[in-house]
Amino acid sequence: MGCKNVMVYVETAEGKPVNVGLEMLTAAKEVAEKVTAVVIGAADAAATAIAYGADDAITVDAAEYNTEAYAAIVAELVKKYAPEMLFVGATPNGKDLGARVAAKLKAGCVTDVIGMKEADGKIVLTAPLYGGTIYSDVTVEGTIVAIIRGGVFKKVDEPDTAKEGAITAETVEIADLRAKIVNSVQEISESVNLEEAEIIVAGGRGVGSAENYELVKELAKLLGGVVGATRPVIEEGWVSRAHQVGQSGKIVAPKLYIACGISGAAQHVSGITGSDYIVSINKDEDAPIFEISNIAIVGNCVDALKIMIEEVKKMQA
Amino acid sequence: MEILVCIKQVPDDSVNIKMNPATNAPDLDIATPIVNAFDTYALEMATRFKEAVGDSTITVVSVGPDKAKDAIKTCLAVGASKGYVVKADATDTISTADALAKAVAKIEEAEGVKFDIIFCGKESTDCASGQVGTMLAEDLDVPVVTNLVDIEKIDAGISAKQETEEGYNVVEVAMPCVVTVTKPEYEPRYPTIKSKMAARKIPIGELEIGDVVAPAVTVVANAEPPKKAAGVKINEETLEESMAMALGMMRDAKVL
Repeated sequence: MGCKNVMVYVETAEGKPVNVGLEMLTAAKEVAEKVTAVVIGAADAAATAIAYGADDAITVDAAEYNTEAYAAIVAELVKKYAPEMLFVGATPNGKDLGARVAAKLKAGCVTDVIGMKEADGKIVLTAPLYGGTIYSDVTVEGTIVAIIRGGVFKKVDEPDTAKEGAITAETVEIADLRAKIVNSVQEISESVNLEEAEIIVAGGRGVGSAENYELVKELAKLLGGVVGATRPVIEEGWVSRAHQVGQSGKIVAPKLYIACGISGAAQHVSGITGSDYIVSINKDEDAPIFEISNIAIVGNCVDALKIMIEEVKKMQA
Repeated sequence: MEILVCIKQVPDDSVNIKMNPATNAPDLDIATPIVNAFDTYALEMATRFKEAVGDSTITVVSVGPDKAKDAIKTCLAVGASKGYVVKADATDTISTADALAKAVAKIEEAEGVKFDIIFCGKESTDCASGQVGTMLAEDLDVPVVTNLVDIEKIDAGISAKQETEEGYNVVEVAMPCVVTVTKPEYEPRYPTIKSKMAARKIPIGELEIGDVVAPAVTVVANAEPPKKAAGVKINEETLEESMAMALGMMRDAKVL
């Protein structure tokens, strides 16, 4: 259906495809007859991309990520191979890259794509507007650059490592880079995998203090889950921004999402609606989070956390 | 130094936008038009940059309707000293970036200046595409650094502190350049009565820029996201009872 070929830029981290890179291959297979993965500076990832659904792959040798260089490479490949659509994952680098490639090609570009369908022979892309309170369906004239949100499409469960596909090495000349990264500082050393978490325990401003936030962390640890947070919590500095869930953080889809002292601003809610089961605790009976919760508990979230921690400990004893 | 700050007027993002059934379009009348939050950070960073390097002028530009002048007025009270509104048939990102690039040329011609640095918010709170600053840089053929939390003037140009997922990069780039700004550690300043009075006296230029690149993206439908059905609300006499009930239900649902 849809279109003949889609090019998917598979971003890598330490030589391995990032999740959204593999998720997009699933989405691409649904709309295109042929899916070509592009990997830059990480040739080994091409085979992984093929195992996860790409029909073939293009590798380009390059130093580590730099938007100017990578955008020049991807734009050249789009010109040469003329795919109808280019998919890029909506990571911070991916958003920069997609916009820059689109500007080079004067192509229509849609960020945070959360849905894709075909209507009247055209591809219709869905993206959130106004903090996720409105979903907008758009069509694009000409080549489409779709920057796809992570966690929306599922990467295949069982990659087919026996699958064969052509891997072509391309060379693209890069002009001198004007913006130079002179130092890269890692401040956040913990790895926080919210996107793949089955259980998330998240807190909002209602948790009240960094000290109380330890209870959120304790419950998450007991349940084998991951700690989430709203933007105000990040701004208070109770946890690092790697934990942020929502429009400007991570979009999550766990089996269980426990929301403690989170009122439910649209920007947060739009990031958690993919959760299977939401339990929320808030002292405000009218908190908007209750409207999307399977269980809504009216009460003090700090006391509720303490009770839940004791109960879970008993269950596990 | 000549500094340009690109801003967008957006509906107040603390208001939940809903569909208006009568028009079948998002009901924006319920939200006050304000300056996009990330653009206020961009202006504040630009103003601090101006104060640090001295002898500089900040001009603000916005592609939008007449009422976008209100947004520009707000900026003129907190650091900017000149303002322009650009009328253009720009409904997507490539056309908006093209309109801004053409506006830059027009303003430079009108004022007899060359902009050294252009600040944009990293994204707008309404569309959140985060594309325009990067596209503008590409159109102007100048380098861009995105997601700044701090900036410093160095001999070779600027040194930018760029937020990343794990920390930050220090990026050095020569001017002219474009930078996009995310939330820094400081808050934008408030206007004073005096600065508001002064801002009111500054005329806002209107720019006609002629044709821009045809928009490629067309909205075909808008809708509110599908609602997740609300479940059970528990509000027993004591929290212990409420929690016992909730935990029982969670066990029954096999989520614990």
